[in-house]
Amino acid sequence: MTEATERFFESLPARAPEVLVSPVSGTLQIDLAQDDQTVHWLVHLRQGEIDVSRDRGPADAIWYTSADLFDRLVTGRAQAISSVFRNESSFSGDVVLFLLFHRFFPDPPGTRDPRTVAREQVGRLR
Amino acid sequence: MKDLVSILDGNTFLVSDDRGDIEPSLDFPTGLFSFDTRHLSTWLLTLDGERLHPLSVDTAESFRTRFFLVPGEPTHYLDAKVSIIRSRAIGGSFEEELTLLNHSGKETEFVVHLDMAADFADLFEIKHARHKQGLTTATVGDGELRLGYRRERFHRETVISTSAPAHIEVSGMTYRVRVGPHGEWKTRLHVSTIVHGARGEDIRANLPQYMGSRNPDAIRAEQNEVLARAPKLGCDCQPLAGAYRQSLNDLAALRYESITLGVRLVAAGLPWFMTLFGRDSIITSLQVVPFLPELIPPTLMMLAGLQGHRIDDFRDEEPGKILHELRYGETAGFEEQPHSPYYGSADSTPLFVILLDEYERWTGDDKLIRGLEAQARAALAWIDTYGDLLGTGYLWYQTRNPDTGLANQCWKDSWDAISYRDGRFPGFPRATCELQGYAYDAKIRGARMARKFWGDPAYADRLEREAAELKIRFNRDFWIPDRGYYALALDSDGRQVDALTSNIGHLLWSGIVDESRAGRIAAHLMGPRLYSGWGVRTLATDEGRYNPVGYHVGTVWPFDNSIIAWGLWRYGFRREAGQICDAMLAASRFFDGRLPEAFAGYDRALTDYPVEYPTACSPQAWSAGTPLLLLRVILGLEPQGDHLIIDPAVPEGMGRVELLDIPGRWGHVDALGRSRTPRGR
Repeated sequence: MTEATERFFESLPARAPEVLVSPVSGTLQIDLAQDDQTVHWLVHLRQGEIDVSRDRGPADAIWYTSADLFDRLVTGRAQAISSVFRNESSFSGDVVLFLLFHRFFPDPPGTRDPRTVAREQVGRLR
Repeated sequence: MKDLVSILDGNTFLVSDDRGDIEPSLDFPTGLFSFDTRHLSTWLLTLDGERLHPLSVDTAESFRTRFFLVPGEPTHYLDAKVSIIRSRAIGGSFEEELTLLNHSGKETEFVVHLDMAADFADLFEIKHARHKQGLTTATVGDGELRLGYRRERFHRETVISTSAPAHIEVSGMTYRVRVGPHGEWKTRLHVSTIVHGARGEDIRANLPQYMGSRNPDAIRAEQNEVLARAPKLGCDCQPLAGAYRQSLNDLAALRYESITLGVRLVAAGLPWFMTLFGRDSIITSLQVVPFLPELIPPTLMMLAGLQGHRIDDFRDEEPGKILHELRYGETAGFEEQPHSPYYGSADSTPLFVILLDEYERWTGDDKLIRGLEAQARAALAWIDTYGDLLGTGYLWYQTRNPDTGLANQCWKDSWDAISYRDGRFPGFPRATCELQGYAYDAKIRGARMARKFWGDPAYADRLEREAAELKIRFNRDFWIPDRGYYALALDSDGRQVDALTSNIGHLLWSGIVDESRAGRIAAHLMGPRLYSGWGVRTLATDEGRYNPVGYHVGTVWPFDNSIIAWGLWRYGFRREAGQICDAMLAASRFFDGRLPEAFAGYDRALTDYPVEYPTACSPQAWSAGTPLLLLRVILGLEPQGDHLIIDPAVPEGMGRVELLDIPGRWGHVDALGRSRTPRGR
């Protein structure tokens, strides 16, 4: 497991109030496969809060991904939904939890605020 | 183009020629499709080496067809010694029954052969012809042919099995059969489409509400259930009755199972748009609220669940934005197209807020408004932050994905849709007028929800103040005094893009038009430059880019007209609204009650009938929703508190219109209207 992934999970409780704004709750298990090993993370999501542990289930949904893909997701270099469509990751169970959780993933590296870009372009930015 | 025959069950659909054959096509999506992938690209029947010809085709149901076929050229029809009935249905999988009838008095040997192939093209590869990156395979098994496609871990399969014994090769199946005098022979072919998940199983099997391969009887039962819940229409006007029935059937048929959320959604249109669109699904929902309110919560939940959460230039995504288009195919998965989902529309976000409010006003279902409070607030916040790209108090758009993104992010999203009167194009970003109307309406409706359900009167006051300021600003900056209408858009320098378009009708619907100017807007909409006799054109005839067969620059769109009729009604122009209803229903008669996506903008006096736009989608959800919204306009149905106001204004000569069992917070009520003159024609 990568350092970026470790740091990502550590950051979740502090970010939960801003990210988990819906009155939806449930438990998602994330299975990260690397070589012959699988590392498990368990997150319990509810409005404004998240509990993170290294346990396995019981869970309302399981998301299967490689440790490498997950590292790209938590650094904004990959996008979660397209990874499911190309079958690089997959899930079973309540999809709403997957959609909730994926909101923690950051912008792609080097992204600029589109307003700044547009205003520069039309010469509106002082 | 030969006549094409389509059957569909949600986003699994099949398009063939009029004898039931599929031949590889690079320009139009013929074939069997499921979840944006073509699972059969060749399906071609011969009898003793000869192609067949149709005597008749039965297309009464959306998911089932029968072809009556004979060998040889049309001159041979009368002495055909053999015929084939090709009976097919779609329901998750595809089934075809071939029945061969020997009309002669002696036992005869026949060779029945089907060519079969699958190219697994993504719908976007058909639109923009590309080479496949992965490998296709064909394997002969026990009584079946397996066609597969793999690219990395992306894996799709088509499995074709036969009930009668066949000689199976990788390119098809052959039957050598002896059929007795006046006897018959049958085989049943079953074609399943498989979307493999990471651990080998079909992804769809994991969806909580996925029905698997529903058989045609289950589809019929479900469609009947939808139809049974809809209000019953009684009227003297046959075109209205026919269009209403056809619309309900088509809306039921366009419902599909979402692969990502496991809920039933309404696809936008066959064949290009069998997927979820933000704009189309919201407009369709607005049209059908009085009739089929149960279609709406899954749509709102899905759009909320996929609401933008980060800045992603490839997808034109920003926090709070509602998606434009979601695709499930290979090009979306491998990020060759941005539809996972793509967020390139500037109107879906305010429209989302409008629909949420409208849905509650009809149904009284406040749970949804409370449950989606955060998403509605995020949408409202988007309007004033990322939506206002230039910080001038308007909604602007400009794609950040020039390769595969959309240049125009309003409903008129073709490249040449937005122009000045002289045909020049404005620079980007652009702020089209109807976007500002939607933003205004979203703030007004957001205020109602904030006050009534979210317990936040201060926020409600702020939204109302902002709406009032927007209305003043808009009426100052968009109004063209010497022309007497609102500009189509502002360009990046804040100058007016001065073409006369149907967009001004959407402004009436939103309520952003100053009362004192509404009469002039109505006169433009019904005047000869915009009004063709069949409806309001997208662009006026004297504009530089006007073209009666241009997708968004001169054609007449039924959905556009339904919104315009709603707007005319809102400002009290009942006669004008009725005129549009009348014209649309008259047009629908030429399409067996099924309004297409668009028809040509030719003057009614010139053609006598509405000319269908060449590659128009049909059925299309917001065209199917059009007769429903027109019916609401005719009967003047408007919820007020816990009651339904019924204020009919039935167009002259339409006779009696009665709608029974309109569902809503009032339970069920009936509405009755009658024109002053009885039905004549």
